[in-house]
Amino acid sequence: MENNLIEIKNLKKSFGKINVLKGIDFSIKKGDVSCIIGPSGSGKSTFLRCINLLDYPTSGEILYKGENVLKNNYNVDFYRSKVGMVFQQFNLFNNMNVLDNCTIGQVKVLKKDYNSAKENALKFLEKVQMSKFIEAKPSQLSGGQKQRVAIARALSMDSEILLFDEPTSALDPETVGEVLKVMKDLAQSGLTMIIVTHEMAFAREVSNKIVFMDDGIICEQGKPEEILVNPKNERTKNFLFRFIVGESG
Amino acid sequence: MERTFFEWVGYILGHYGSWFLEGTAITLLISLLGTIIGFLIGLGLGSAKKLPRSSSKIKNFFLMILNGLITCYVEIFRGTPMMVQAIVIYFGMQEFMGISFSPTIAGIIIVSINTGAYMVEVVRGGIESVDPGQMEAAKSIGMSHGQAMIYVILPQTIKNILPATGNEFIINIKDTSVLNVISVTELFFVTKSIKGAIFRTYETFIVAALIYFVLTLTVTRLLKMLEKRMDGSKEFVHASSTMPILFLKKPGEKNGK
Ligand SMILES: Nc1ncnc2c1ncn2[C@@H]1O[C@H](COP(=O)(O)OP(=O)(O)OP(=O)(O)O)[C@@H](O)[C@H]1O
Ligand SMILES: [Mg+2]
Repeated sequence: MENNLIEIKNLKKSFGKINVLKGIDFSIKKGDVSCIIGPSGSGKSTFLRCINLLDYPTSGEILYKGENVLKNNYNVDFYRSKVGMVFQQFNLFNNMNVLDNCTIGQVKVLKKDYNSAKENALKFLEKVQMSKFIEAKPSQLSGGQKQRVAIARALSMDSEILLFDEPTSALDPETVGEVLKVMKDLAQSGLTMIIVTHEMAFAREVSNKIVFMDDGIICEQGKPEEILVNPKNERTKNFLFRFIVGESG
Repeated sequence: MERTFFEWVGYILGHYGSWFLEGTAITLLISLLGTIIGFLIGLGLGSAKKLPRSSSKIKNFFLMILNGLITCYVEIFRGTPMMVQAIVIYFGMQEFMGISFSPTIAGIIIVSINTGAYMVEVVRGGIESVDPGQMEAAKSIGMSHGQAMIYVILPQTIKNILPATGNEFIINIKDTSVLNVISVTELFFVTKSIKGAIFRTYETFIVAALIYFVLTLTVTRLLKMLEKRMDGSKEFVHASSTMPILFLKKPGEKNGK
């Protein structure tokens, strides 16, 4: 398809002899939200990390706006600045306050002047309701606050797409909601996102597509209702069944 | 005429106080500059050791050679006494390269190179102790490896290794005494000269010991204070959400330019 923002073809990744991703085909259009679910060790994180090249794929293609980012001489740093990532452990820069976390990339990577970077950062910090904390160091924030700043940092780069790797898994239950709320707003505002999550209700609500991964492959993907309510694949059924039993028990 | 111990000490300070002062100044100068330069050597070479492997075979080959050279440097200078290094470097340079420095300059060079060898490993450890997530986050906003090192990793590394660097400084204050073998007029050399002039070994060296002790104690205290300041205050100011953007300052910036 022409209007895919990112299209992935037969992506494989191995660490030494271990094949973690065994041929993944996936695509996402501008404005879409895809959620990736699946058991631990199935390769969800590795898949996300391959998308923004934190892990370099062993083979396959990643087309960004139709161009293969794995070809020689492709400007990887620029591509990464357009594909934002939000980590489970937040990974805010510990040596900088909240505002600097959101401006450093704009100034050093996008070469914006400091004042417009600051204005842009404040806009997004406002959006995640963290503009009161611009002077704070990461160590002075709660997990939920850190994650919202991390989201603002990624947004400040004017990313085309945001990748989330279990953004609420390291949070206290009370603060999960505030982060999910921000992500829902982003989904509604038309931001393209790929989200690895165990929050099924959230996944169902925000996504256009749910992808079930197991053992390094995509077993099943489709509309949330199809996957979560009427899964066809045995492995999907098993996973969801165990998940529901696990959650209530 | 018979003097008591304290009278001798008084005599020495009265007559040779300025000698001691000059020796102390040289000792401080060499150990301070040596520590700073050694720190920079360590920062550079320690970072070089952590350069990422590249996809190009030729680059990797050069990286390997660079790594090997750094390892040789570290092992050689950590595995030999500084006194021997001083003689070999000072006289070696004169004899084989025809370069001669003043003993003080030579002393600074030797202490720098020696400290550098220790700091390479300290820096490498310091870099490794920074959470790998920091580098990943830097990469994820498009920073190159170099940018990530300069803006994210090394500032945190430096904070981590400040105590070890201070320790090196204190060791250097004491170890510059070996530079008397190349006639650097540092504290130990001066002490020996004074002893030679008045033939009072014990009293003269007690004065030297006191000076060394006061130096190291003062430096220890100063470093503790510096570390505390680097940790920063535990509080931060809530910015009012209605505050106009123009009034927001970057820390360290005098006025929002
Ligand atoms: N750097 C690495 N070296 C070797 N093996 C790795 C590496 N990274 C991941 N793996 C392996 O790849 C497999 C998939 O890991 P991955 O983290 O992608 O799973 P996941 O689906 O994200 O799991 P979880 O839900 O627990 O986060 C695991 O078996 C893991 O041990
Ligand atoms: Mg994972």
